[in-house]
Amino acid sequence: MTATATPRVPVSRDPRVSPLSRLTASPVLRLVVKRLLMAIPIMLGVTVLTFWVLSLIPGNAAQQLLGPEATPEDIALLEQQLGLDKPGVVRYFDWLQGAVTGDLGNSLVSRQPVSEILSARLPVTAELVFLAFVVSLVLAVPVALLAAHKPGGVMDRISMMISTLGLSVANYVLALLLVLVFAVSLGWLPAIGYTPLEDGLWANLRGMILPSAAIGFPLFCYYTRFLRGDLVDQMQQEEYVTTARAKGVGSWAVLIKHAFRNSSFGLITIVGLNLGALIGGTVIIEQIFALPGIGQMLLQAINTRDFVVVQAAVVIFALVAVVANLVVDLLYAVLDPRIRYGSR
Amino acid sequence: MKQRTILSLLTAAALALSACGGGGDSGGSASGGTGGPVGEPQQGGELTVLEDAAFAGSWPAGLDPATNTTGGSNIAMNQAIFGGLFLLRADDDGSNARVEGHQAESYEMSEDGTSFTIKLRDGIEFSDGTPLDAEAVRANWERALANACTCKPNWPLAENGIQVVDPLTISLTFTRPFPAILASFPTSNVNWIASPTALQQMGEDAFKIKPVGAGPFTVVDNQLSSVLELEKNPNYFKEGLPYLDELTFQSIGGDQPAYQALQAGQAQAYEGLNTTPLLEQAQANGQMQVTIQPATSPYVVQLNTEIAPFNDPRAREAIYRATDFDAINEGIFGGNYEVSQGFTAPGGKFYHAEVEGYPEYDLDRAKELVQELGGLTVNLGTISNYVATQINTALQTQWQEAGIDVTIEDSQLSGVIQKFTGGQWQAMLQTAGAWDPAAGVGVGFRFNSGVPYSGVNDPALDQLLADASSTVDEAQRDDLYQQAAELIAQNFYAPFGLAFAPANLAAAGVHGPGLTTKIPPLLVNTGVIWDEVWREQ
Repeated sequence: MTATATPRVPVSRDPRVSPLSRLTASPVLRLVVKRLLMAIPIMLGVTVLTFWVLSLIPGNAAQQLLGPEATPEDIALLEQQLGLDKPGVVRYFDWLQGAVTGDLGNSLVSRQPVSEILSARLPVTAELVFLAFVVSLVLAVPVALLAAHKPGGVMDRISMMISTLGLSVANYVLALLLVLVFAVSLGWLPAIGYTPLEDGLWANLRGMILPSAAIGFPLFCYYTRFLRGDLVDQMQQEEYVTTARAKGVGSWAVLIKHAFRNSSFGLITIVGLNLGALIGGTVIIEQIFALPGIGQMLLQAINTRDFVVVQAAVVIFALVAVVANLVVDLLYAVLDPRIRYGSR
Repeated sequence: MKQRTILSLLTAAALALSACGGGGDSGGSASGGTGGPVGEPQQGGELTVLEDAAFAGSWPAGLDPATNTTGGSNIAMNQAIFGGLFLLRADDDGSNARVEGHQAESYEMSEDGTSFTIKLRDGIEFSDGTPLDAEAVRANWERALANACTCKPNWPLAENGIQVVDPLTISLTFTRPFPAILASFPTSNVNWIASPTALQQMGEDAFKIKPVGAGPFTVVDNQLSSVLELEKNPNYFKEGLPYLDELTFQSIGGDQPAYQALQAGQAQAYEGLNTTPLLEQAQANGQMQVTIQPATSPYVVQLNTEIAPFNDPRAREAIYRATDFDAINEGIFGGNYEVSQGFTAPGGKFYHAEVEGYPEYDLDRAKELVQELGGLTVNLGTISNYVATQINTALQTQWQEAGIDVTIEDSQLSGVIQKFTGGQWQAMLQTAGAWDPAAGVGVGFRFNSGVPYSGVNDPALDQLLADASSTVDEAQRDDLYQQAAELIAQNFYAPFGLAFAPANLAAAGVHGPGLTTKIPPLLVNTGVIWDEVWREQ
């Protein structure tokens, strides 16, 4: 008997396998499901941790709202009205019960539904984060490519100087400097305020340029340095680069088509990890530029010990971080067929 | 507060660079003082006013006077929307401060000080057309007094103490003489009368977002603790007022961003500038009008006489003798402020520059006392803000010169409250008093026995303060408060210091009482009279 060797066909490409089976057997789908299942304990952990940390901060919403001159009776009455007289565990499970059914509760301070507050403020922060992300990443890639093309060259030195400067300055210092130059001295851009998108694209963008630059510029510097370093390593040390060059491939083509593809794995990882810093940066930047976003809301809620609003903001931020990491994993799969077809 | 600290630190770093910033739309002539000759008020225009997010720029509970728990810091918004029964006015230089009727036409205090009657102006309507009458006032007062609010007045109200006499007259009856009633109005939520009809129709939740009053402006849009947009009230009872067509309050994250936004021409006014280097810079660069308000509440180093080391009068005297507030004023604050020896300040009532027997700075005596005590270790706390932390750092240096071992710490408001209520604090830098020592957060708050925020337990002092707050005759009150200040000094209860008040900044061409003229601050900020604010067109 002779056995005929059947070529191994990935399940996802085998025509004999039904689309549903193909889908369930897909390594990418398994990855997504696995990550989403992992997100549940992560999100629970984040909410428990937030609740616990908030309980450690002195005072509560009632004390904070009524101020130092409030009588203990006034404070007790307001605590009762706000439900703050219940044990912490009971309050947490009350909140959780509502949250899993989509009811994030009402602000302890304004009594507005949290979902209403979030829907008004989320677009502002989302736009800020998106623009900062664009500023940082879209600029970092070409600059790093230019710098890595000729290490030690003029572009490399300039980019390293700028990125060192950018990494040395905190985003809130940069924010004030940007306002000083572009709003106060030159008068080109507004110093504060938010114009909704429906009032005009340019008016909206004008107001977001400085805040997004303040958050995005330090990240741009970080990404540029990281990518440039990795590209230079690839170009100087990897054998595939030598092979490509031996075949007569031009240096730009080697850099962009080969080295950059490999370096992008590291960049994607860094971008994913830095998303938290990007979102965290909105808290102070929104204060400085008077932007009515989630960061501003979070700070106000912490100051007034409005734990319902704080919880909601933290859940949003945590959710974004979880989704971002999932996207990073998916991008790995897109870039690396070994992951896509499950051979790794 | 943490963020506020960061921004305060940033201020110093950004200052040198800020000095290079020019431009903006300051245009025209600008002054570093309270302005030069001012022409006739002009109608029209819009004004954007910045408010510090950590104080006046925070209105998280909405703007319904009865339920706004931060109402004490939102006086600007309240005046613009509700107008007020009474307003605190003063001459342009801040002198001759007095409470005047606004929506109230007149008032009358009984001879014994136990009843107070208000006559309202005829014909005033809320912007929804509801008449502002005695019934509306009664409904507002009862609602305000039933709710918890930092700005709720501490009236010693008798049972059924609020009575409507006729459609335009309402009276209050107290259980004891209460002459400070008039002074208590501008700082409390009972001054702001809201439309009962609108409240009923809209419901509390909607009303606090878009409250309806009879003030100079009506609410167009309100994003809590972010932006409040107002427009001229066409039904305003004062003919020709307000001058402005639109007024916007914008919350902003501290003095430095606010200063830069003003320089950039994005706003035309900022209330409550505290950061001294920025104040000096604003005065020096001449781009905007700087109005330092007359102080009403001096800083005081409260000493906890209930526990060691300050249950020993020698330790308290050592602190007095080691403290030189004049040097702090000159060294850190450019000599911009007066130094008080009691709980009153130049902008407030019953102020005396000197208190008889006040223990002056005497380093040798301080050293002697510390030696006699066998050493002195002190923990000095305060609230986290720029001025307070600067003063504490300076005090630490001065006290160390006298051989006192000092640790300093600053906390957020909640942390300060916790320290006070815990009772284990030793020394705490706070502010004391008010425009009228018996109104608002009065002097008893810091010095009465049994109050958690007081470090003193002295029945004689309690009696003096109680007598002063219930005496109708102003001269007698003055004498009683002076005796109280002397008693505090003689017993070394708490050295007083800098009488600090925040400044208002305004772009050139903006004018208005309280904004570019001086009016003593009510709680922290001055009560700007927004209907009379105008811009050169």
